[in-house]
Amino acid sequence: MIGNFEDPRKTFGKAVTDIALQDERVVLLSADSGKSSGFGDFIKASPDRYFEFGIMEQQVVGVASGLATTGKIPVFCAIAPFVTARPFEMFRNDLGYMKQNAKIVGRNGGITYSDLGSTHHSLDDYALMKMIPGVVIIDPQDPNEIRSAVKAMIDYVGPVYMRIGNSAMPNIFEEEPFVIGKGRKVTEGTDVTIVSTGSVTAAVLQANELLKANGISAEIIGLPTICPLDEELILASVEKTGKIVTVEEHYVYGGIGTMISDLLCREYPRKVLKLGVPHDYATNGPYNEILAKYGLDAAGIAASVTGFIK
Amino acid sequence: MTDKELLALKAKATECRLSVMRMLRASHHGHIGGAFSAMDIVTALYFYKMHIDPKNPKMEDRDRFILSAGHKCLCQYAALAERGYFPKEVLDTYGSLDAVIPGHPNMHELPGVEANTGALGHGLAIANGMALGARLSCNGSRVYVVMGDGELAEGSNWEAAAAAAHHKIDNLTLFVDNNGLQISGKVTDVMNFMPVGERFKAFGWAVEEIDGNDMAQIVDVLDRQPFVKGKPSCIVAHTVKSKGLSFAEGDVAFHYWKTTDELMDRGESELKALLEEQRKGA
Repeated sequence: MIGNFEDPRKTFGKAVTDIALQDERVVLLSADSGKSSGFGDFIKASPDRYFEFGIMEQQVVGVASGLATTGKIPVFCAIAPFVTARPFEMFRNDLGYMKQNAKIVGRNGGITYSDLGSTHHSLDDYALMKMIPGVVIIDPQDPNEIRSAVKAMIDYVGPVYMRIGNSAMPNIFEEEPFVIGKGRKVTEGTDVTIVSTGSVTAAVLQANELLKANGISAEIIGLPTICPLDEELILASVEKTGKIVTVEEHYVYGGIGTMISDLLCREYPRKVLKLGVPHDYATNGPYNEILAKYGLDAAGIAASVTGFIK
Repeated sequence: MTDKELLALKAKATECRLSVMRMLRASHHGHIGGAFSAMDIVTALYFYKMHIDPKNPKMEDRDRFILSAGHKCLCQYAALAERGYFPKEVLDTYGSLDAVIPGHPNMHELPGVEANTGALGHGLAIANGMALGARLSCNGSRVYVVMGDGELAEGSNWEAAAAAAHHKIDNLTLFVDNNGLQISGKVTDVMNFMPVGERFKAFGWAVEEIDGNDMAQIVDVLDRQPFVKGKPSCIVAHTVKSKGLSFAEGDVAFHYWKTTDELMDRGESELKALLEEQRKGA
């Protein structure tokens, strides 16, 4: 189940580069962030379609909008809070309200810039992007999903926000075509539904081994697309298990836990356990230790799920 | 350009100002001051300079106009209507529910609008992207921006100013509508960004200063774009707020005008008299 590990930024950069070298509409943008986003090979191969702007993310989002109006497909990748929280109004007006076909990628998302502290964490990016009508939000769960999601993101016409992490990420799924808005049922189960997104899905799968050992049958749903939410898949599972836990590297407010709570409140009221980071400025330190502190490692997830269903 | 052609262009600017008054008749309020200070520039762009086709507003190699100071939209709506992008009857809907000419322009509602501006400090970055896209497509398209002088305080403009110079975006022309007034008073009192021209020069732009209500000077700078190959062009246009309405010129109270019938009548009479004079000469 847990396969080889890859650097998500390199995987992303190569996936974009492979497409951009074949598709002259694709233009890559950098705010002193291009090489760290894996664009190094593209910069050498096609410097005319790569623009370095230095550290001015607001301006780059505006440029992405303008480029998109001319039929180009801009891809702008930088540190997640600096492409979401900082230029929020540019994202909302210039990409959302203007409905432009631009792709904004927040790397080192969540708390992966662990020891750099709260300024460099993005624990509100799903919530911020969700508030902009018409924006697709993607958070791939493994390197194979990054590859297929990049293709889907560029094929899709409209504004997309994709979050990727930083730490080495295991392959947990076979590579297959990515369908925006579709989740995947990873395991069949009867006692509880666990819904997760992004890199934390690998920890959920590890947690499932612990749950199985304790005789708990979990139905795991992985959501590489956060918005639009795969409501049908989630509802069908909860109607079967009757219990649901959400797991995300995001604040417990505003992310998939909140979106799924809204869904269930409307369609099938059930108690929801939302696992994530408490709504406060997260601590700093080694990434895996922070995840464990907030109960987002396999042991923590398994313990929370076990406590919830008993 | 002949004297007659110049006078005809001036008359068109007056016709556009009368179209602005028509919108104000419908709504009884609107950002008149900045619309009238920029009206001559916008008229010259739509009726003299820009490569556009109202019948094909999405023509790929068109020139583009970005009204970064979106609240001046009355002047853009007037020019678009006069140019034939939509029927003039639409002007009578200004201020009504679901109007396609809202208080700040929406590209998805009205042909000819290129960006959804209104929040200040967005237009120049969008224009940078458009100009770079045109450069990549090698289609000869130019991008023109009108920015307010009060808007200069938005820091995002200076990010965009640096980027335009760094990337040698010379198919970009920026007019700073320097009417000297913003909603709270004199721009130099609220947040002093003078001398504007020196600041843009320091950022690497080619800069000239004109009387932005003098059509001959506007035409002259438009005929010399770019001023310098490899540099974006900035025109500091010294204008008069509410230009064309004797009772409102230079009065900050008319930044956003809640009209009265008496003053509307007076303003229209003044503009009609001017138009008659201009038509005689043309």
